[in-house]
Amino acid sequence: MKKNELAAAALVFLATIGTVLGIFGFENFRKSRLYTVELIARAPDNGNWYPRKITVPFGKKVKILIRNIETVTHGFALPDFNVAVKEIKAGEVVVVEFTPDKKGAFPFMCTVWCSDQHMNMTGEIVVE
Amino acid sequence: MRNQNSSLLRALRTLTMTALFTVCLLVTICFAAERFFEIKAKRFVYTPNIIKVNKGDIVNIRLISEDVTHGFFLDGYSLNTSSHPGQEGSLKFTADKTGRFSFRCSVTCGALHPYMMGHLFVLPNSLFMAGAFTILLLGIASLIFALRKKQKDERLKLFGIIPLDLRFPLTKFKPLRTLLKSRWFPFILIMLNLFIFTVILLAGFIGGLSSGSYNFGVMLVWILWWVLLMMFMVPIIGRFWCMMCPFPLIGDWIQRGKLINVGKQKSWGLSKRWPNKWRNLWPLVVLFWISTWFSGFFTVKPFATFVLLGAIILLAIIVAIFFDKRTFCLFVCPVSGFQGLYANFSMIGVRSRDPETCRKHTLKTCVVGSEKGYGCPWMEIPFEMNRNTYCGLCFECFKTCPYDNMDLVLRPFGQDLFVEKRRTDEIYHRRGTDEAFKAITMVGIFLSFFLAFQGPYGHLKDMVTAKTLKGYLGYLGESFLVDFLLIPGSLLIFAYLSKKLSKNKEVKLKDVFVNFSYCLVPVGLAIWAAFSLGIILPNGSYLLHIISDPFAWGWNLFGTANFPWTPVFTYAMYYLQVVVALIGFIFALDFGFKFSLKTYNTIEEAKRGWVPMLIYLIVIHILFLKLFVG
Repeated sequence: MKKNELAAAALVFLATIGTVLGIFGFENFRKSRLYTVELIARAPDNGNWYPRKITVPFGKKVKILIRNIETVTHGFALPDFNVAVKEIKAGEVVVVEFTPDKKGAFPFMCTVWCSDQHMNMTGEIVVE
Repeated sequence: MRNQNSSLLRALRTLTMTALFTVCLLVTICFAAERFFEIKAKRFVYTPNIIKVNKGDIVNIRLISEDVTHGFFLDGYSLNTSSHPGQEGSLKFTADKTGRFSFRCSVTCGALHPYMMGHLFVLPNSLFMAGAFTILLLGIASLIFALRKKQKDERLKLFGIIPLDLRFPLTKFKPLRTLLKSRWFPFILIMLNLFIFTVILLAGFIGGLSSGSYNFGVMLVWILWWVLLMMFMVPIIGRFWCMMCPFPLIGDWIQRGKLINVGKQKSWGLSKRWPNKWRNLWPLVVLFWISTWFSGFFTVKPFATFVLLGAIILLAIIVAIFFDKRTFCLFVCPVSGFQGLYANFSMIGVRSRDPETCRKHTLKTCVVGSEKGYGCPWMEIPFEMNRNTYCGLCFECFKTCPYDNMDLVLRPFGQDLFVEKRRTDEIYHRRGTDEAFKAITMVGIFLSFFLAFQGPYGHLKDMVTAKTLKGYLGYLGESFLVDFLLIPGSLLIFAYLSKKLSKNKEVKLKDVFVNFSYCLVPVGLAIWAAFSLGIILPNGSYLLHIISDPFAWGWNLFGTANFPWTPVFTYAMYYLQVVVALIGFIFALDFGFKFSLKTYNTIEEAKRGWVPMLIYLIVIHILFLKLFVG
């Protein structure tokens, strides 16, 4: 009987705290292997790209994880490295990869009309 | 002579007019016109929001966005285009399917994106015509059946075929009884839901104020859970959700000091008794109605869903500390009310098998509990239970009964709606205004929800999401007006007409009103099921995305994270909605006359008293049909 009670308590613990710990643990493990930079997409009147300036080392493969945390659809383009995502829906996440083979500052921008200020939704990638 | 002449002239004129009309009609049919529409899309409305064409027309649509990128998906035709400011979208198609079709935004454009839609009518609207005709036909047929009845039935029969007192004990099957008697059941299902709701809460919290359409919490609760509840669980298996709901778990733990074993029967909490005047469905009627005030937020914002669920969990714990047993489930939980009422319609119930065994068993362990289980946590009296409203299917009475005298029974729809009052002093056996108003407000809330969330009216969406305070107050006012004045008022008027027409002086108007209000139970179930079809078929594909990526972190657990939004069966959907509404109508017709027989003394009174209610049911169903397809 005592065993049953302990098993039940263990299940409750597993379903709640265990689940939360498991989820964050998995995410941290995944993050550590997956990407180098996280980029948050927001319309300019709601905070714009964050960060707006990303510095990456020359010649090393870069992974950018773009998270659209808003309620409208965004896009992503980094023309100088031929990187583009046509549509990043609200709540969606995409990962883009490229290897910076030239130095300098390169603009990236949103490609979906996301607000009146859409044209100002731009940022910069600096390769050093 | 002169007179003859003029009548000839008149006849000639009529003939010419008819010929002209026919030619015009033929022209419209044979030479379909090419029609052009310029539709402006702005969050969250299309202008014009309603367009009408004739069958065979070639329809050209230019979609012009005025703020952000919008899409245009046409139900039934499954056509799609999109536009952003400065770049138009266009569609050209032949309107070869008739009926009313919604066009919906197909590019996530903001919080209310899933509700952004308009209507395209391809005339003639044959589905609406056929539906309305069927409603009239069914109404007349049911009237003829009713009028031909010579005497009251000894045994009530559903549709005159299936005896309504039929019961089949499912627990005749030994494995099922063993399962229900195990202390691990329904605990293990509660654990499963505890896990799912932990993920939902976390996703709601992490999702914050982003769009709900790609959030695990919002989608699982308001698409999967709500639709499952309304289309399957409640109408078929009653309070099945209450059985596996994880919310009262912590409260139970505090009260019992044990999770699964049976400790002492006395609660560790304060164990106060819920006041007698509130021991009915009224608190739930009001609480559910109040929670619909915020529907414009928690169905679209993850964080609002988190707050709502969090508040319910907290409330469940607080109520459990202060009050008796499952007071929270019985009288506080907002979604408990309609489940309880509608469970009376459902096909299953917990009933004692042999009343004699119960009578001889003086220590009522199902009420006071034993070492095998707790006394009914829902404060029911299991040994003489005959209605489902307050039975939460926790199966404690299966565990406490030493004679295996409890059964899980399968029975025809609506059995509990007809049971005789056993003890009028006891709320559990009573038909009353509280249940009547639960049935009524569910219809009223359906009307508000349908118009705001599945209608083409942008200003209503602005009102429910509180874009302006005035608009929001207007929505609350409208909701109050419809739920507590308009629908009950109209029902009361028809109940009054029914009483007058029956020429029965003794029967109380209140009883007529309450008895006939139970017609709205199958009606409410049907329209909510039809409403749910309008959610799950167009938006169900979101579920594939969110199960693979529940936290919008870029996960892809099942490989379906990139599955695009794909509405399914959007042509069949309208037919299904009509069929479901008609099924509700048929039940209401069958039940309605039976309620009339119960209300009035003689069959003649019952026949006369039934006519106004029949008219009422026909009118409201034509209105529902108008909402769904007209």
